[in-house]
Amino acid sequence: MADRRRINGPVGATTPPIFDKPAGPAAAKTRDAIRKIFLKTGITPSASGSAYLELENPNPQRPGNTSLKLSCTVHGPRSLPRSAPFSPHIILTTHVKYAPFATRQRRGYLRDSSERDLGVHLETALRGAIIADRWPKSGVDIISQKDDEGWDMMNVLSGCITVASAAIADAGIDCVDTVAGGVAALVCKDDKTAPTIVMDPVVAEHDSILAACCVAYLPTRDEITNMWFKGRLPGADMMVYDKLMEKSLVACRCANRVIVQELNETVKKGQGIS
Amino acid sequence: MTTPKSLTLSSTTFAKLSPHPYLLANLQPADPSTTPTRTNGRQPAQTRTPYINTSSLSHAHGSAVVRNGDTTVICGVRGETILTSAIPNYRAPSPADGSGSSLDEARDYDLLVPNIELATGCAPNFLPGVPPTTLAQTLSTRVYSLLHSSKLVDVSRLRIYPEEVGGEKNKEDNDEKMNEADEEVDEYAVAGDKAVKAYWVLYIDVLFISFDGNPFDTAWAATLAALRDTKLPLAYWDADREMVLCKRSQQNATPLNLRGLPVACTASVFTAKEKQKKGSGSYWVLVDPDRLEEGLCDETVTVVVDKLGGSTKILGISKHGGTVVGPELMKKMVATAESRWDQIHAAIE
Repeated sequence: MADRRRINGPVGATTPPIFDKPAGPAAAKTRDAIRKIFLKTGITPSASGSAYLELENPNPQRPGNTSLKLSCTVHGPRSLPRSAPFSPHIILTTHVKYAPFATRQRRGYLRDSSERDLGVHLETALRGAIIADRWPKSGVDIISQKDDEGWDMMNVLSGCITVASAAIADAGIDCVDTVAGGVAALVCKDDKTAPTIVMDPVVAEHDSILAACCVAYLPTRDEITNMWFKGRLPGADMMVYDKLMEKSLVACRCANRVIVQELNETVKKGQGIS
Repeated sequence: MTTPKSLTLSSTTFAKLSPHPYLLANLQPADPSTTPTRTNGRQPAQTRTPYINTSSLSHAHGSAVVRNGDTTVICGVRGETILTSAIPNYRAPSPADGSGSSLDEARDYDLLVPNIELATGCAPNFLPGVPPTTLAQTLSTRVYSLLHSSKLVDVSRLRIYPEEVGGEKNKEDNDEKMNEADEEVDEYAVAGDKAVKAYWVLYIDVLFISFDGNPFDTAWAATLAALRDTKLPLAYWDADREMVLCKRSQQNATPLNLRGLPVACTASVFTAKEKQKKGSGSYWVLVDPDRLEEGLCDETVTVVVDKLGGSTKILGISKHGGTVVGPELMKKMVATAESRWDQIHAAIE
């Protein structure tokens, strides 16, 4: 049934524009580093904590074109509603939502299963970092909003983890460490060449991705809070799995340095005012 | 802190405990030497400076981010095509009857689809996972009706025709739609002898990133800026494939032809008594209210003006609740809206 609380548009089916000529292929760049990350905290003053993350687009078509934009707000810690049962630790609620204009196909306003899935992954990744027993009987809501294109679910998840971690720190919720997300993938050009492992893969740049791995990592404690592995590995080499993990950990470390730097800047700015 | 000084509350605590006396005390200071200001440090008629950034989204045809104080809004405009055969009760438009006819294509065929989403966690009371609140529904409807009543978007830019090359051949095997319009064929000759095959539908999605009052003005400014930024690719009807195709190159993309630049200006009326009767007690007109002020005011006035082309045109006046605002005050409101127009115009250009 149509959603009567929104403006739904015409009754007939609308189709996104179909182009007469295909777009040129994206030029693959070989790089052994993650894409540049822009991170800023405190974009939503009305929330307890918030952060905004932008990923660089390695082959921009327009000036100022970036590939992934995420905003995250944290509301809480606050007391649970009266009807909720007693909880000895903080109750974490996560929400991941794509904006309607975030993907190539226009998305609706209702959350679909992939968004729910991302929310669950984000929750497990953050639960390991928050010191939950310090806030009994309280709840916190973490809302990630994806405003612009990300290539696939794994890159979105790693971005969500990084931006949510910065927002939680901005909200002043006690954590054991800042958790950061990173992705590595096993890609191959064609059947003849041997597959290679790349950090922070851009899906459009690679012909085929065999497997990918997204990890949420606490660098100072050297602990992993969440790991998501997808794909099939060539059976011959058992070490590929380990290598893939290690590569994603490197990506996590890189992302974590951005978080730490931004938080340091925020603290300095706060000291300057007071 | 057991000193007697701790008995005086900090201003933020006072604001939370009793917001109405707090705002009143700021507007009516006991010490006459201090100038009365609002709690946010602004004068009653002072607005926040808007910042507008366009073309930041890569998947939208047009986009804008508007920041007005602590209210931040992002708007993406996306074009999709709809075939005229998919429109129920479709009537071919004829160029001759133009504005005089009852046919309003944009409204009748629902070509503009604005939606405003507040449940993005932009404020503690707007958490996701709930259906749109009354405020969100009201905002969507107001933007929708203003889009249509101001006739901002030129519908002729949304029509899609058969391809220019080989247009003669297309004409012959055109279906009954052409025959229907046969009696008006001489009028078609003016428009290059073409029948509309499809339309662009503009999905206008407005998301609140941060919420601090005055949602309608900011959402409208974002819609306007995003529509001004919108460039639709050149689309044509391909008779062989019976579908709409678009040209890839960016040079063929045309901007929408917007009629005018309407700007909304909202003000709330704050009364000294919480339940005030008409003609008694003092009141303040607070232009561009923030979240605290909106919660304390019953009466709001929104004036939509357009000053493009010299003279001021009033496109809409709406007033809700309260009985304070009379004709004189409404005139003042229009003057305030005119200065607001200059501000938004400078930010958009």
